[in-house]
Amino acid sequence: MASSPDVSSTGNTPENPGSGSPSEAPSSTAAPTGERRGRVRARRAAVMAVPATIVAAGLAVLTAQGALGVQFAISGMPFTVTADELNGTGFEQFGGLDNMADDSPNAGDTGGQVLVVTSAIKKATLSKLCQSVDLGGTNLRITAGNGAGKVTASDLTTDSTEMSGDAAFNNIEIGNDASTLTEANAKGPKGVFSQQADTVHINHLRQTNYATTAGVFKLPGLKLSFSDKAC
Amino acid sequence: MADRTRRGPRGTFRAWRARRPFWGGLLLALGGGEILLTEKASLKVVMHIGMQGLAGYLLPGLMALLGLLLLFNPAQRLFYSITGVLLSLGTWLTSNLGGFFIGLLLGVVGSCLAFGWLPDQEPRTGRRKRRRRARALAAREAEGTTA
Repeated sequence: MASSPDVSSTGNTPENPGSGSPSEAPSSTAAPTGERRGRVRARRAAVMAVPATIVAAGLAVLTAQGALGVQFAISGMPFTVTADELNGTGFEQFGGLDNMADDSPNAGDTGGQVLVVTSAIKKATLSKLCQSVDLGGTNLRITAGNGAGKVTASDLTTDSTEMSGDAAFNNIEIGNDASTLTEANAKGPKGVFSQQADTVHINHLRQTNYATTAGVFKLPGLKLSFSDKAC
Repeated sequence: MADRTRRGPRGTFRAWRARRPFWGGLLLALGGGEILLTEKASLKVVMHIGMQGLAGYLLPGLMALLGLLLLFNPAQRLFYSITGVLLSLGTWLTSNLGGFFIGLLLGVVGSCLAFGWLPDQEPRTGRRKRRRRARALAAREAEGTTA
């Protein structure tokens, strides 16, 4: 059917026998055509694209309803977390050093190391969570828990450089060795000052973090947006 | 149209590209890479957390691997692309909302392109050319019916 008379092609057969099963190639018995290339057939791609889009939308909706937990693991770029209120059980805190990746552009004059405070909370409930990452010029902003549903996080471990808020602790032990902590699942290095508490309550929490790891977040009312202003 | 006798490096690359789902594999690999970039927590931390934390790295790592496999072993592209799309969707849960959505999008688009790719297709023809041919065909048919 298709014939372009301007090219006399010699290589009508694909050179690479491994490139695809021949049964799928439509055996068009056309006259010598131009160069035959592999191509994306739109209808075939749609067979996968449509269900994939539906599943992706479903995941986003379920997350926004707070039915699905999502995991975060960020490090190397500073990001801000704010919340109106944080209630947690099982709280630990100790000092440490974070190493950036080699030649990280964020290193500046710090030599790639940041002094951080590591906080671990076993179970936390946050209201009006806002998290923003500065991407240079614009901020990626994630907000959740603005409505009735609250954000819950488990095994939340954050490395912060700054932390502020009005805090209240219950059964706090101050001055433990960081390697002997028992309240949450994190343990610090030996010989480092630390503190732990049964419960923690922080109002107007504001953290500048370098890393969050393995926090499983449930984010009802999730909103992901690019915005000029940080949290 | 490029003829096969020309053998510059560009021509060779073009021919190489023509035999595999190039953009699909590339996008899937890039998507995996992007997600890994948003994580880059030190391995020490990951080991500490265990399997749950590892999944956050496993999924985008596999995505990047599948993207490369699509490029270098296109015969298995169906398996690779289906696994790729599932992994891409899975990263929403395990890895920073799929690298803040960008990596997930790249991965899904790449997998779909790879899934829809077929080897040995007709050369692309412009719309005008196609229309002209259709008209010619119709005219010939009409001739045939009148004769």
